[in-house]
Amino acid sequence: MGPSGDHAVSRAIEGDAVRRILDAAGAVFIKDVTTELRSRYAVAATATFALAALAVVSFAVGPFGGRPELLAAFLWTVILFAAAAGLAQAFTREAERRTWLTLRLVAPPTSILLGKWGVNLAVLTAIEALVVPMFLVLFGVEFRSLPAFLAILLLANVGLSAALTLVAALLAQARAHGALVSALAFPLVVPVLMAAIVGTRRAFTEPGVWPPECRVLAAYAGVVVGIGFLLAEHVLDD
Amino acid sequence: MRIVWWRWGLFLWMAVMTVAAFLYAPLAKKLYEQTRIIYWHIPVAWVTLVAFLVAGWHSWRYLKTRDLASDARAAVATELGLVFCALATVTGAIFSKGMWGSYWNWDPRQTSIFFLLLVYAAALTLRAAVEDPTRKARLSAVYGLFSAAVTPLLLFVVPRLFFSLHPDPIVNASGKLEMHPRMFQVFMASLVGFTVLFFWVYALDVRIRLHRLAREGAWTGSGKDRAA
Amino acid sequence: MRVIAEGLGVRLSGRVIFENVAFEWNGPGIYTVTGNNGAGKTTLLKVVAALLHPGRGTMRWENSTTAALTPAQARAHLGFAGPEIGLWEDLTALENFAFGARARGLDWSAADGAAWLERLGLTGRGDERLAGFSSGMKQRVKIAFAMLGRPGLVILDEPGSNLDDRGRAVVDALVREAAEHSLVVVATNDPVEAAWGRPGITL
Repeated sequence: MGPSGDHAVSRAIEGDAVRRILDAAGAVFIKDVTTELRSRYAVAATATFALAALAVVSFAVGPFGGRPELLAAFLWTVILFAAAAGLAQAFTREAERRTWLTLRLVAPPTSILLGKWGVNLAVLTAIEALVVPMFLVLFGVEFRSLPAFLAILLLANVGLSAALTLVAALLAQARAHGALVSALAFPLVVPVLMAAIVGTRRAFTEPGVWPPECRVLAAYAGVVVGIGFLLAEHVLDD
Repeated sequence: MRIVWWRWGLFLWMAVMTVAAFLYAPLAKKLYEQTRIIYWHIPVAWVTLVAFLVAGWHSWRYLKTRDLASDARAAVATELGLVFCALATVTGAIFSKGMWGSYWNWDPRQTSIFFLLLVYAAALTLRAAVEDPTRKARLSAVYGLFSAAVTPLLLFVVPRLFFSLHPDPIVNASGKLEMHPRMFQVFMASLVGFTVLFFWVYALDVRIRLHRLAREGAWTGSGKDRAA
Repeated sequence: MRVIAEGLGVRLSGRVIFENVAFEWNGPGIYTVTGNNGAGKTTLLKVVAALLHPGRGTMRWENSTTAALTPAQARAHLGFAGPEIGLWEDLTALENFAFGARARGLDWSAADGAAWLERLGLTGRGDERLAGFSSGMKQRVKIAFAMLGRPGLVILDEPGSNLDDRGRAVVDALVREAAEHSLVVVATNDPVEAAWGRPGITL
């Protein structure tokens, strides 16, 4: 077979490999969603946390307390703490129930990370669908630009869930889990948080669809996902 | 006791540099005396970055070779990095007070150094929390590389975010000092001195750790291909 | 599949679990790993299953088509059943199988699932969550899970645990059939099980 033939064959194999990884990731995603629907563990824990945090902030600040900068900061603080509380369980539950090794055995590391990231992103989005409207109502927030707010929210979700997923995966088997995940994840998510808060504030106060912070959030997501792919084996292997 | 000339040389170097900082170099732009701390602040911040890079390099080496000696080097670099980072944060605050009137104003540099402090602290927390040496090494190496990937993003991003939040011309965040030639000399001398100091302490600490690893009979060295 | 180990050593939390372990096992057929509790059988099996990197030595996997497999490739061609390899108890047996197959990239249909249930003597229990199964039933499901897709290497850690006579018969049949085309490694303290195959190694 000539050089172009070999090239076509190797590309076919690569295409197969990518498809295999995506299929396996999909299988992981479906398994987790199925389990979650039956136990409702992640969503319940995250939602409880988010609502409690929101209640505290609302009580302390009152309905008219909010300057845009403060409100943006409060919103993202609530989201961050809820996420840290709820997204680590994607891995701790596997370790607790002795399915961690099973998972590593049947699925490639990249697929495990991808599938779990998908689940975490879905959980985070679901929580925000609940919490964000409540926040807006409790604080009487008016937008200058709703599209901008949604753009910031979605992009930040992507990066935030990716970073938390990676750290949670890294610590899947370490003990003293919850506090450790937060301690390690928080420095890494500082860029997301800062950009999200500034962008949200901008959405509250300025018109326009794409705040410049979107670029930062997209870059962050790219970096985190990229490094996750590169180090997937090392994150999960023992 | 063997007297090694270069260590005495370093001592002299730093001593002369310190004296020169107070007597030889003029004050910048008629500011307060405490801004002389710049001769310590920037070199120490520079060493923090050097330590970060050294730790990152050895983290990558560990993942490639699974050699615990690489992990020992990364651990030492991280610990020293934390010390220097704390020093950089404090001296930066003192400088800020002298230059701009407040100890802490979250300008891009201060934010960046604080972020680095958090990362270092987190990395050491991780080391403390995991007992098994091999797992500790792997997790620390991966976390080190994560932070190395995210840090440039933060260092570039923060200035832009800062200026959109605080378009206040009074706070000079770029902080470009125009240095009188004498100032520059003392400054460079300090930079060199602190870098040498870092590597000296680093080498010592690494030697101690490798010694300890050998004494515990740990399995260092690899020769194994980690082509997973 | 063949597995070859040279100078294997594993340390956990500083303690040496075993060192200088060497063997060469050629499939198809059964090899047994014996030793007292705590001797490190499960740890050795994890190394053979490419789930644990040894601190010393090398572990090689070879099959008929490729000379040497990377650990990731080896994992894709082996099954492992044991106390530390649990299944998802919020899912049914069929869902567990389906997940295992799909994640591995195997073709899988409802008919395959039904066929497996029948071999396990669990027909009709396919839609119950695993949490409701007895430990003996779970053990059967675990062993079947390890054999999905006829992997070249099947590792069984104490396969007889929790089994009643009916279960033992089922597992016996499964293992014999697997041994006809795969390398089967069994770790056990049970002398009956130890007699299934050739002595592989004693820790």
